[in-house]
Amino acid sequence: MTGESERSYPFKIENKFIVKSGCKKRMWRSLKQILTAERALQWPNEAVLYYSINAPPTFKPTKKYSDISGLLAPYVDRHSKLFYSNAEEFATVRSLPMDITAGYLQLRGANTLVG
Amino acid sequence: MDNILVLKDYKTVPDVVHEYGPTLKFGHIPLVIDNGSYQCRVGWSIYEEPHLIFKNLIARPRKDRCKKDAEPPVTPPIQIGNDIINIEAVRFQLKTQFDKNVVTHFEVQEQVCDYIFSHLGIDSDGCMPHPIVMTEAFVTPNYSRQLMSELLFECYGVPGVSYGVDSLYSMYKNEIGDTALIINCGYHSIHIIPVIQGRVIVEHARRINLGGSEMIFYLHKLLQLKYPVHVNAITMSRVEEILHEHCSIALDYQEEIRKWANPDYYEANVKRVQLPFVQTSSSSGLTAEQQKERKKEMARRLLEINARKREERLAEDEEQFSQLLAIQDMIEDGDTDEFNEAIKGFDIKSYEDLQRQITNVQMRIEKNKQRIIAAANPEENLESRASGGRMQPPSDPDALQAWLNDTRAKYRELMSRREARRARRAAMVKRRTAAAAERMRVISRLAAAGDEFGNQDSDWDAYKSISRDADSDSEADGERLVELEEALRDHEPPPATSDQHHQLHLAIEPIRAPELMFQPSMMGNLEAGLAETLEYVFKHFSPEDQLLLANNVFLTGGCSHFPGLKERLERELLEMRPFKSTHKVVMARNPSLDAWYGARDFAGSNEFENWCISKEDYYEMGGEYLKEHYASNKYFKSPAPIIDNTLAPAGDANVVKEEIVVDC
Repeated sequence: MTGESERSYPFKIENKFIVKSGCKKRMWRSLKQILTAERALQWPNEAVLYYSINAPPTFKPTKKYSDISGLLAPYVDRHSKLFYSNAEEFATVRSLPMDITAGYLQLRGANTLVG
Repeated sequence: MDNILVLKDYKTVPDVVHEYGPTLKFGHIPLVIDNGSYQCRVGWSIYEEPHLIFKNLIARPRKDRCKKDAEPPVTPPIQIGNDIINIEAVRFQLKTQFDKNVVTHFEVQEQVCDYIFSHLGIDSDGCMPHPIVMTEAFVTPNYSRQLMSELLFECYGVPGVSYGVDSLYSMYKNEIGDTALIINCGYHSIHIIPVIQGRVIVEHARRINLGGSEMIFYLHKLLQLKYPVHVNAITMSRVEEILHEHCSIALDYQEEIRKWANPDYYEANVKRVQLPFVQTSSSSGLTAEQQKERKKEMARRLLEINARKREERLAEDEEQFSQLLAIQDMIEDGDTDEFNEAIKGFDIKSYEDLQRQITNVQMRIEKNKQRIIAAANPEENLESRASGGRMQPPSDPDALQAWLNDTRAKYRELMSRREARRARRAAMVKRRTAAAAERMRVISRLAAAGDEFGNQDSDWDAYKSISRDADSDSEADGERLVELEEALRDHEPPPATSDQHHQLHLAIEPIRAPELMFQPSMMGNLEAGLAETLEYVFKHFSPEDQLLLANNVFLTGGCSHFPGLKERLERELLEMRPFKSTHKVVMARNPSLDAWYGARDFAGSNEFENWCISKEDYYEMGGEYLKEHYASNKYFKSPAPIIDNTLAPAGDANVVKEEIVVDC
């Protein structure tokens, strides 16, 4: 057995996409790139594509839940921007270190500058 | 307290290589592959159950870079699927061929295919002589299918392949008629697919881009943030286990979380999950007592070393002293020649020098002797002070308890005082805070204070309140704090057993993570939730069709295992459907495996040969070609790329293409 076919199986004709270690790797398009390329084509009107069956954006007002407990949260801490539901939680929120508050915000997708 | 959940930390069992008997080898038996983004299930169409079920993951260990050229670099074996025994050990090397629910990384797919075929024992030369039934995502992009066909036909030489949609197979397997509204809750997406009289209404189907993996991620992050101490013990696979076994869908989420606000309800219903832990006393952690002991031991050893050094020095000095005296004797005896010889050796210039040296050495000896005497004593001093200075608790147990409480209260008070001081100082440094304003007020009053300032001692406290540095109060408090801390450590009963420190309390979390299906906004996803999308899909049908669909809502896919999902959907349907109209939710018999069973039935049917894409079809129609059947996607031939009708020069066309890629 030569080095080239060491990982090969008898039922295979050739290694199609597997590249030897050290060789230049093929870059695989991500789903996003595939969809963009797909969109760029001129499809007939009746064609249904991956991106066209995305769920609609929500039209209902989103509920606010306390970041730390999950309870309904009527309040926002102006300092850390975390939601909290009562005084006890407020004390906890205020004592949280920066990385934890940042983690909660990121989890809620609220860490972006916009909005 | 008794309902503590213990994590089982499931381990996978590596797959055996199955026998490839003559019936299979020469029977042209179709192979059924349910290629899901969570698990892959593979089996022959003539058997009842799939042979292989494994997670669609591979772990490619990094190459050892430290090795020199002496030997060729050894590539560590790639672990695939169930070969990965401990998934946490290779978490960062994991790869999957999926991006969302679509296969995009075909190198990994090829490796997975190798794994599948080799574990089925296939040994025929240069081809895989079995037609394949493979599932693909609903509305798969043609590009992805093209590469899959390319892989199957050109790499393995399969005689034919047929692609189908997992949820449609599952629906037909459950024999619920040919009109249904499929809700397929998968690992990366939730599909809502209306089917009317066997026709998939693809233009009104919808996909919510959220599934089991997002719930795992959400719960994982949530628990890690709640228990930052256990960040490393809260692993993805443990969270997955919690999600699979202890999570459910709330019938009425708002009502449910309202209940949790009540502390009694919390206490009665909280789920305690025990993380594995090592008894601290037996392993690394030393108790405070042991640490103190060790410190003392170290100090003693240091003292001993010092004492030995001093004695050595003393002996040295004494010898020098006696030699110097001997030289002095020489000169007194009038032996000048010998004296001159001797002082040369000692680097002494004159008689006066000698005298000086003698007094020096004498003084050194005296000092050393005193030190040795002093060094013997302080040990006793230290000990007597240590035992006497500590706070002594009363011996009576009741009084001890009271004393302990008292000490604890004092400790807390000191702590809070220190905290407050620290906060005030921090605030003082900043501008435009109340504390800073107060400080300025005090300073200005001090400046205006007349001659009577300083008549009372308390006047001077004003300086304490404006000082930005730690003042004498805080030092005194600090000392007191250390003392109290020590007393508490020594006399407090040992803290609660460490297993309680390694428990996760799950309150709302078990219903919070699956609730993402209905409220994706909880993790910042702006898509509509399951119920809202369902309503949206209904709107596109005539009232008669709506009724037909609502009466046959079919629930399948791994995430429909959640207890309570069916009831919740029924409740949501009741809310959104017209008053007094009927609806029904049907659960798949086996939400995870029905797709495979359905695909197996499909492969076993008489018409299977007609639904297969043959090698000829592949070369004739191209890789993206799809033969439509009852459970397949619709085939829309890709239009010719726009670049073909170029008017611009070729160079510009490339630029345009680039722009399209970026603009997404």
